[in-house]
Amino acid sequence: MFTTGSKLFFGATALSVACAVVFAASTGGPTGIMGTVGLLSLAIVFGFLAGINFFNADGNVPGMQQGAEYTAAAAQPPVGSSMWPLVAAVGVAGLVVGAVSTPVVFKVSIVVVLAATAEWMVQGWSERASADAQYNAGVRKRMLHPLEFPILGALGLGAVVYAFSRIMLSVDKESTPWVFMVIGALIAVGAFVFAGRRNASRSTIVGICTVGAVALLGAGVASAVQGQRTIEEHPTTSGSALCLEGGTEVEIDDHASQDVSAKSSVIANIFLQSNDVVIARIPGFTDPEDNFSTITVPRSADVGIRFHNDSSSPQRITARLGTFGDAAEVVMCTTVVNPGKEAFLSFKIPKTNAASSTPLELVIPGVEGQQIAIVVP
Amino acid sequence: MEQSEAMVSTREGQFAGRRRLVGLAAGVGLVLAGCAKNAPQDTFQPAGSNAREIDGLQRELFYVSGIVGLIVFAAILYAIIKFKDRGQDIPEQSHGNPKLEILLTILPAIILAVVAVPSVAAVFKLDKKDNDCVINVTGQQWWWEYDYVQGSTCGGVEITKSIVTSGELVIPAHTDVLLRITSRDVIHSYWIPRLNGKRDAVPGRLHTLRMQADQAGIYTGQCTEFCGLSHARMRQAAVALEAADFQTWVTNQTADYVAPEADTLAATGEATFVAQCSRCHQVNDLLSPDGTPVLAEPDLYVVSGAAPNLSKLMTRTAFAGWTFDLISAECRDKLWNAPPDEFGALYLQGVTPECFDEANLRTWLRNAPAMKPMYADPTKLASTGGKTRGMPNLNLTEDQIDELIAYMLERK
Repeated sequence: MFTTGSKLFFGATALSVACAVVFAASTGGPTGIMGTVGLLSLAIVFGFLAGINFFNADGNVPGMQQGAEYTAAAAQPPVGSSMWPLVAAVGVAGLVVGAVSTPVVFKVSIVVVLAATAEWMVQGWSERASADAQYNAGVRKRMLHPLEFPILGALGLGAVVYAFSRIMLSVDKESTPWVFMVIGALIAVGAFVFAGRRNASRSTIVGICTVGAVALLGAGVASAVQGQRTIEEHPTTSGSALCLEGGTEVEIDDHASQDVSAKSSVIANIFLQSNDVVIARIPGFTDPEDNFSTITVPRSADVGIRFHNDSSSPQRITARLGTFGDAAEVVMCTTVVNPGKEAFLSFKIPKTNAASSTPLELVIPGVEGQQIAIVVP
Repeated sequence: MEQSEAMVSTREGQFAGRRRLVGLAAGVGLVLAGCAKNAPQDTFQPAGSNAREIDGLQRELFYVSGIVGLIVFAAILYAIIKFKDRGQDIPEQSHGNPKLEILLTILPAIILAVVAVPSVAAVFKLDKKDNDCVINVTGQQWWWEYDYVQGSTCGGVEITKSIVTSGELVIPAHTDVLLRITSRDVIHSYWIPRLNGKRDAVPGRLHTLRMQADQAGIYTGQCTEFCGLSHARMRQAAVALEAADFQTWVTNQTADYVAPEADTLAATGEATFVAQCSRCHQVNDLLSPDGTPVLAEPDLYVVSGAAPNLSKLMTRTAFAGWTFDLISAECRDKLWNAPPDEFGALYLQGVTPECFDEANLRTWLRNAPAMKPMYADPTKLASTGGKTRGMPNLNLTEDQIDELIAYMLERK
């Protein structure tokens, strides 16, 4: 006979097949094929489970058994009211609203409907899994807790991270370290207090945690509504005007790092010597006499150079990376490098230098007659 | 009945005996498989100082770990035999033996400390700084490009003009060569087992690897980092030449372009090359009919932004990621097995008409993706903006293929 479990899975099988037919008819191309195959696979899995349930005849009882109408699993009344129909209804309403407003609402509603349906389904089945209410509750926990706990945990963590990030983005730059320290300190102190008061009641701890979580989420929502602080846009070193003019300092130069960590991964080290002569040293050539005036750069590869300013004045290095076709000359440069300091410049040259109408070279604006030719074979 | 049972028992015994025999044969076969003498990518046959350093280290470590392994296996075997269940009482159970535990902590620590000495020494030796040649090595799906630093010297030979080649890394023998390895697309790994260990090629980074070959010869390798569809067909070789031969090779690589004679099939092939191939492949100094240089722009058509330079294709022995031979199997065997003093002259002949394996190149030109799987189907390139990974099918006619082969045969 059809049992409680098998009816559920036979229904799911029929629903999957129906969905596969509708999807196949309504969606073409590779997506249609893949979706239909996926739904049919789901139908096969449900059918298999239905078959097992049908074969095992779970919770089924002989019809002539005395008092079976009261003791059979299927005869058990619902344990209590369920919230899942309400959640599913809210989800369906969300689907309607989302369909005419924003896709995000629609997608979230799909998740809500699916989750509510799964919970409702398992609750309906588990409450009639046997005549023992305690056993039924255990069955439900065994089935759903491995899913519920990680998902709820991830959602809770995501909410905390999101709220915290909104708070940090809304407060001004100078205050953020203090906010970070205060919140961190509060959590640490709270943890110490809980750890020290072992006789504190469970409800007290849950209450304090709830108040803290609500406060964090509330502050996060308020911060999100307020919006993030104004983040100033600083000028960059891109643009030929800045890179080609010697002696010009801009705001970004004041904030520039004067050291480089990528020491081993450069295609050349460019030195502006104290006598204002520019040389290139190529890693691998270790003879001190190996000073190059040309560097060879593979085309279409990201490469970096390190610029050392050993002169007595602040300087930047500029890479003139060619003029290809009708496009403007590609020029980039480092920030101003103080005497004795260094900077890193990364670039990629997609074409051979024979394709450029202007020379490819590294120059120091303001230092005449000193350049390193770039060869892109 | 008893006779029948006895027969079954005998048959089972025969089956068990055969199973043991098959198992033994399989085991012996597995062990003997490691004894191949003609194994060009055998890391246990080092052919250079760096590879020898690694080989020496692994041998030392093998002796130490082998002895430790034997002791452990002997102890396990002893325990298995001694305490085999024969129906005896369970031996006395005890927990905790401080002396034994301290011994078992200190002993491995001492072994590891001893092993660390040659390991660290080898690391420093492999990282030695003196190099007589620097070559840039750039990986992309699914081939390697080499370019020699213009204005430098390599094994005493001046590199007056950029050399760009692919597949075969030509180096001077007895010379410390530094490879500066990077990648244009995904992570690859460069490995010539007989010359050194492997080194990853990572986009945006330059990793160095030192090589030195004891004698002239060809040393093969392959990409050892999974890099997509044709990873298994991304091969490479290092070709070591004696100094004079290397000088000849460099001179040839930097020689001016020689155009085909007018009114020949090769001359028609040059025009076909310009029309069909030069979008991605560069032939140095090639001029179009109006006298302007023909410059390849692989950055417009290929994801990696590069395609092999074909200026001197026929000086190499294989193509397409060093996967398919340009020379016949007979010529290849002759070259690979040539004595060191004859190898250079043989290699510098390049692809001769007698040795040319036309079938491979012809099949490649007919439909490259059918020969080596690549992401080049024009209907599936939306995610790359129409750019391919590898060479697409150019739908060349047989006449065009004849012309291109005639032209390519002169690229040496």
